[in-house]
Amino acid sequence: MKKNIQICLGSLFLVLGSIFTACGPDARLDMVGMFAGTSPTINNRFEISQAYNQQMGFATLQAPDDYHVYVCTDTHITKTRTRWEYFIHAYREDQLCPVAVHLGDIIDARTDFAYVEEALVPESDAVSQPMKADTLMAVCGNHDIYFKQWEKFIKTFKTSSYYFVVQTQSGAQDLFIVYDSADGTVGSKQLQWLRETLQWADTQGFRHIIACTHTHFFKRDSSQGHTSNYTLEETYALLNLFTKHGVKMVWSGHDHSREITQVKDMTCIIVNSMEDDDKHPYYMLVTMGDKIDYAFVAVP
Amino acid sequence: MFVFCGMLLAPVAMAQVQPGSAQYSVSLHVGYAHNLTYGSYANFDLDAYMPINKHFDMQANLRTSTADFYTLGVQLRPKFALPVGELYLEDRVMARWVARDEINDFVHALSIGYMMQYVNAQVGMSTRIIIPQPYSFKDADAMVLEPFNIIYRVEAFVRPKMSPWNISLCVANVDNYQVERVWQPMFYLGGWYDIDDHWRVRLSGKMKLAGMFHLNAHYYGAELRAGAEYRF
Repeated sequence: MKKNIQICLGSLFLVLGSIFTACGPDARLDMVGMFAGTSPTINNRFEISQAYNQQMGFATLQAPDDYHVYVCTDTHITKTRTRWEYFIHAYREDQLCPVAVHLGDIIDARTDFAYVEEALVPESDAVSQPMKADTLMAVCGNHDIYFKQWEKFIKTFKTSSYYFVVQTQSGAQDLFIVYDSADGTVGSKQLQWLRETLQWADTQGFRHIIACTHTHFFKRDSSQGHTSNYTLEETYALLNLFTKHGVKMVWSGHDHSREITQVKDMTCIIVNSMEDDDKHPYYMLVTMGDKIDYAFVAVP
Repeated sequence: MFVFCGMLLAPVAMAQVQPGSAQYSVSLHVGYAHNLTYGSYANFDLDAYMPINKHFDMQANLRTSTADFYTLGVQLRPKFALPVGELYLEDRVMARWVARDEINDFVHALSIGYMMQYVNAQVGMSTRIIIPQPYSFKDADAMVLEPFNIIYRVEAFVRPKMSPWNISLCVANVDNYQVERVWQPMFYLGGWYDIDDHWRVRLSGKMKLAGMFHLNAHYYGAELRAGAEYRF
């Protein structure tokens, strides 16, 4: 009995010690959020995103026939943004790129989103050139919302659950669904929205449907450790929903290490992280034609 | 491998096992559950506990649910009594038919546990195969293998384990009907009361948060479960 109490007390002190040491002003991890999230629930965040969507509508972008989409994730911007600027420069310079996507964890924890946004404002000499591509679509990751950061994220990026359509010169249309999974769940309301959006998509004759989000479905390779993902119930619900409605690809981040899983006709891709401290940073360059090709581009 | 080791070690521990610690039993539970994906639903669980001898026991668990998923699990446990507490190994096989999502999954888990009067701790690993339906043997991409997952269970009792009534608090990513991923703990609060030598009633609650290790945790699901166990 005495030994049991000692073990219990020891474990309790270990947990409490971890929480208190992680609560300083420079702490990177929101240990309070581990038990009681400091940003709104997914259902509330979805409603906020939908309110913006209803006001502004959904974007339709024009593109050449075989166009490029630049995809990055997990930039974890803190005091530097070197690779973020490199990525922005890369997609803006590409004549074939109508849109770039950031899959979340834009900042690391408490970085001011203004610092992220500054890099998106073109420099004065660049403005004189025709802007070839200047549309960045983003979704929040967990690092963007804990420490009560959701309000700042939404102030900068306006919405985190939406879709956009890219229409090519020859008339093909591709649907990109961006959904919020920043705390490991899509919630009940967003799940219903995903169902309705995909049912609607069935009637529209889209060439490709792509889902973009932060949290990954699967983790098969354990060599880099595991990161948290969806509950099993939600994994299966999303997997069934997406495969049934012909989603071709799911792009996600969160895990930092690349992994590609083929499930029936759907390809789930975890894109490498692109934070400044990462030793092997990549972004993904996707060529959207009748066939979808993708490559991973090393970032210096 | 754990089972094999258990068979080798069992004779060593034979003399130390407390007699009368296990009886054949059958239990039936009904649960009301809710989560963000399924909404509200009910579970019906039938469990059988079978002590084969002093050093091995088996357990079989069956769950049917109004949410249209079904689970069948079998556990084999070699046990070794120690001067303090009992060491056990557990070999668990579980099949789930998630008919609502047209997906089957199969899990094999091996773990080692240590049971004391007030605390039960268990840690191990599991492998999962996820098979969307309809399955085709010709299709190489028809299934997803998650080869390695850590499982754990830490349970504390307010009274000695064999007491006629007890209350327990538990954190685990595994129970008799589900093996979750490592970063998806579930929290349990439960208790039992022995009406007589044969009948025991149980009441328990389970809470599942989403996003604990995304550091923005919120409610995902809960279950309230009640039932009775008959010990032969």
